[in-house]
Amino acid sequence: MTTITPPAAGVPSGSGPWRLARTELGRRASVRISLLVVALFLLMAAGAPLLSSLAGWTPEEFDKSAVDPYLGGQPLGPLGGISADHWLGVEPVTGRDLFARVVHGAQVSLLIALTATAIVVVAGTAAGIAAGYFGGRTDTVLSRLMDLTMSFPSLIFMIAMMSVAKDVNRIVLMTAVIGLFGWPGIARVVRGQTLSLKHREYVDAARVSGSGPWRILTRDILPGVLGPVIAYTTLIIPGMIATEAALSYLGVGVRPPTPSWGQMIAESVAFYDTDPMYFVIPSTCLFLTVLAFTLLGDALRDVLDPRSGRA
Amino acid sequence: MILYIGRRLLGVIGVLIAIAAVTFTIFYVLPSDPAAAACGKSCSTERLTAIRAHMGLDQPLWRQFADFVTGIFTGRTVGSGQYALHCDFPCLGYSYENSQAVWDLLMDRLPVSASLALGAAVLWLLLGLTAGVTAALHKDTLTDRALMVGAVAAASLPVYFTSMMLIYGLIRVAGLLPYPQYVPFGHDPLDWASNLLLPWLALAVLYAAMYARQSRNSMIETMAEPYIRTARAKGLPRRTVVVKHGLRAGMTPILTLFGMDLGGLLAGAVITESIFGLPGIGRLFYGALSTGDQPVILGVTLLAAAFIVVANLAVDLLYAVVDPRVRY
Amino acid sequence: MNKRTCTALAAVLAAPLALGAAGCSGGKQAGGDGRNGKNPAVAGEGSVIGGTPQKGGTLTVLSNQDFTHLDPARNWVMSEMDFGTRLLYRTLVTYKSAPGTPGNQLVPDLATDLGTSSNGARTWTFHLKKGVQYEDGSPVTARDVKYNVERSFSPDLPGGADYAARYLSGVEGYRGPAQGKHLDSVRTPDDHTIVFELNKPFAEFPSATVMPTFAPVPQGQDKGPRYDNRPFSSGPYKIDSYDRGKKLVLVRNDKWDPKTDEVRKAHPDKLVVLMGLKANQIDDRMIASQGADASAVPWYALRPESAAKVLPRAEVRKRLLAESQNCTDMVQMHTGRAPFDNVKVRRAVQYALDRDAVLTASGGPAFNDPSTAYMPAALFGGRQPDTLKIPATGDVEKAKQLLKEAGKQDGFSTKITVSSGDKGRAEAIQQSLAKAGIKVTIETVDPSAFYATIGDTKNRTDMVYTGWCPDYPSGSTFLPFVFDGRFIKEKGNSGNHSLFRDTATMKRMDEIAAMTDAKQAGRAWQRLDGDILAKAPAVPVLIRRWPLVLGTNIAGAYGHTSFGGQIDYATVGLKDPAKSQG
Repeated sequence: MTTITPPAAGVPSGSGPWRLARTELGRRASVRISLLVVALFLLMAAGAPLLSSLAGWTPEEFDKSAVDPYLGGQPLGPLGGISADHWLGVEPVTGRDLFARVVHGAQVSLLIALTATAIVVVAGTAAGIAAGYFGGRTDTVLSRLMDLTMSFPSLIFMIAMMSVAKDVNRIVLMTAVIGLFGWPGIARVVRGQTLSLKHREYVDAARVSGSGPWRILTRDILPGVLGPVIAYTTLIIPGMIATEAALSYLGVGVRPPTPSWGQMIAESVAFYDTDPMYFVIPSTCLFLTVLAFTLLGDALRDVLDPRSGRA
Repeated sequence: MILYIGRRLLGVIGVLIAIAAVTFTIFYVLPSDPAAAACGKSCSTERLTAIRAHMGLDQPLWRQFADFVTGIFTGRTVGSGQYALHCDFPCLGYSYENSQAVWDLLMDRLPVSASLALGAAVLWLLLGLTAGVTAALHKDTLTDRALMVGAVAAASLPVYFTSMMLIYGLIRVAGLLPYPQYVPFGHDPLDWASNLLLPWLALAVLYAAMYARQSRNSMIETMAEPYIRTARAKGLPRRTVVVKHGLRAGMTPILTLFGMDLGGLLAGAVITESIFGLPGIGRLFYGALSTGDQPVILGVTLLAAAFIVVANLAVDLLYAVVDPRVRY
Repeated sequence: MNKRTCTALAAVLAAPLALGAAGCSGGKQAGGDGRNGKNPAVAGEGSVIGGTPQKGGTLTVLSNQDFTHLDPARNWVMSEMDFGTRLLYRTLVTYKSAPGTPGNQLVPDLATDLGTSSNGARTWTFHLKKGVQYEDGSPVTARDVKYNVERSFSPDLPGGADYAARYLSGVEGYRGPAQGKHLDSVRTPDDHTIVFELNKPFAEFPSATVMPTFAPVPQGQDKGPRYDNRPFSSGPYKIDSYDRGKKLVLVRNDKWDPKTDEVRKAHPDKLVVLMGLKANQIDDRMIASQGADASAVPWYALRPESAAKVLPRAEVRKRLLAESQNCTDMVQMHTGRAPFDNVKVRRAVQYALDRDAVLTASGGPAFNDPSTAYMPAALFGGRQPDTLKIPATGDVEKAKQLLKEAGKQDGFSTKITVSSGDKGRAEAIQQSLAKAGIKVTIETVDPSAFYATIGDTKNRTDMVYTGWCPDYPSGSTFLPFVFDGRFIKEKGNSGNHSLFRDTATMKRMDEIAAMTDAKQAGRAWQRLDGDILAKAPAVPVLIRRWPLVLGTNIAGAYGHTSFGGQIDYATVGLKDPAKSQG
């Protein structure tokens, strides 16, 4: 399998280019808005318990007075039961507070997505640098492993693995499973980048002056690949969020009564016409988050890694 | 070239065997006991043992795996006496659920998934490339911005949301289309298309956005190449330059993307098939998973992996056609 | 069957969005015995929807799934037994085709009568009607019935009812007829006589012969596991094509003679089952009932989510069937382990559980009845007693009190295993027990793995949520299956998931089983049900209904009480066959 490796980005370490990038980013409206949205959702996730206690409901608490048992548990009142008591209305059937569930859902969804991303990035970068720098047998083995992992029908495998496991923490497992199939993509990018950096003059100079491989990797190669890695990272986060949602949608995600956006969307699809708000609210959250991360990632890529449009 | 293809095909087989081994191991630790599930509500220990033996589940794992792999090539016989079932190459065993050959089940469902994937692919290529090329040619204008923002937004929409909105708008309210129900192409091509239009749209919206962004970027890069400028300078019509030169050279990254996407989709779009209730391979897999039908799960996994590997191979070979610089 | 209702209901229906319902879901129990209103969903209970059907046309069945098994040796799912025995194959005895409780009556089918017993109900003889033919015109013989009974022992053909294995004598180690071995305890002295030798007296044996196990399969047609895809017809229809998971087409079997059959009416010319559709789309199509869907019926029950689209609309409501499934959902507690080895703790759960909340999670009072006893109402002559008088919303104070008496005033943590479809119900249970200080973790398991998981008595959780349905209307198919400690198995345990071993109960069960007077036995089972309830091995939660919205062109439809409320496929047909599409 061949890949188109991005040409050298040539982002040397030092504060100059980074400051440049920051100014460049700050000039874009889309970046400022995306940052705002991301920050808002991150805050919401971090402050979930506080926020829901402000609203007066825990995400697991039933409110039978808010639903009509004779109509299959439809929320009472317009717009899915939005009221002073329930800010975003309630879940049909159980009467659980949607606001509390959405903010706690943000916590679970973002936690899984971000941790999985971290795993992917760390593992992928390490593998990519190792393969690119050491070459030879290390490269062969790692590249084969990348090819093999990429040949796995990943969604099908994730579903299978999630449904197999029983007595484990679902959140940890989901993170691990999503991470497991994500690393080869970034590893390839980093490998290509490393290959092109390996024979740069400054790296050769470091080698000649007697630096050990560890020192060269961390001091000379890593900063060189950092730009594309950061851009790539932001770009894969939406995919991770969507994957968490997909797994929860298919019923192999988090366990009840824990909410996550995917789980909420999955349950609310059945009510899309009888209680549209219930369906729209988590879908909108998912949409906004994915959109914000995508825009942010696009901008970062343009600035930090201008020529890798094809990665 | 031939040597290269041969080597790659050997690699494909190796990858498939590795994937089969991993799948096998995963399901060995599955808590569901297919024998107990088959046995039913009230099952005596003695009967359970007999059923387990009949299913071959009393054998050690490596033995079951070896039987499976050799069975693919040599065929297998399951059961005994009057009830014996025999399947020939390529034998992927029999479904625990309905005693049908897994291969037949896969081939039965494949047209549905393939129709879904290919139809959607045509649609998203059309939409995506048109949008991407248009945006590239109008780089940094309002058209470009609008198209790209639209593309990012469309790609960010959860597929469940797009699908339900399509169902609600086009079926429930407008009554324009039927509830999707698979009609074979050979049966009635028009019916086939009108039933699949919604799932195609739902998938196409998601993918078209990616292709629009990708094709815009590569178009902009290619159009800046000296040879394009030369071609323009020679007085070739803009249209010819864009289509014959620009698009062709910009195809390589699109091709990579397309190969991976199509390979993945051919073996079933689990979510789309499940939302629209289409009896494709994704549905088959999901159903098999909830009933613990291991032979079917294994079959789908292998088929899906085969599609991905073969699609990658095809893409690599196509490079040589599209990009004259690539030689094997 | 009693019509459980709530006084506020009439108001709710008059103005669907009125807050009146809050009065219902609040403190006052929704499942009470108010007798003023009417449950909107059960208006059609016990009556036939759509009048008398005309002959002809195509009846469409919209299904979200494939049949588990249509092979008569393996068919043991209520709805599928209905479909199989009403359309494709005949059994020795069957249920009368009638709405309401008369549907529990047995009538002869292949047999000329309900069987005659001798040797103290250890030997049962059935004579077969003459002139009954298969789809190829060959005669149905007693040997074919025997052959299918033997098939039910084959490990190649799992899944079927095990009454033959349970009651026939000399079946130890028998593995079916595939190797040419046959059972001696089933004799066929001639083509039209079949004699069963049982291992113990069994007065209700004719009730067991309604099971598809007792349908004929000619040896020449047996293809082992593949027979499932093409059962050979002795009923009014035969399989024209069966594309597993997609479509089944049944056409008339012109060799079927209506003169030999008092049960099956066979109105439509053709039946088409479309499978693998989305449940929500089926609901929407049935509610809209347009075009060909007017001549359609749904296979599976209406989803609770769709209730809001059905109940407020009189036009749709009058096409709604909601017969009781006659199965009791229970929370069963592991009586052999702490903390549930203490009867006080178990009673605390009985009191803490908010059945009303579970009912709402299950689709609300329109589609469920709260259960106050173990056996469903059908085994109590139509109405369950309420011996414990626990409010439907639970009594948290009393539960706390009981926990305190048990030395568990600080509560405790436990786990419950549920099938993935019962997740919502489990969350309601979790929430209501939490109020009394019992912290419950939910383990959801795929339906395929569910029985294997909870049947592993060592490794299972302390609580499980399961249901039990009587196979035919007798206490003997309920209490001994659920509460007899002698049937407990370490692995593959079924029914008695409380692992309840109570000497007095077991002794009483044996006494009742030996009674020859069915009425006396019936009353004794009912009393025993109350006695067990007081010992609290399990909490009865609810009894589900089987809500189905029919197309506007459907006639002769009712939910059959003995088939879990599924439409009786023996009588359903079309008002105007010309309106259906082939």
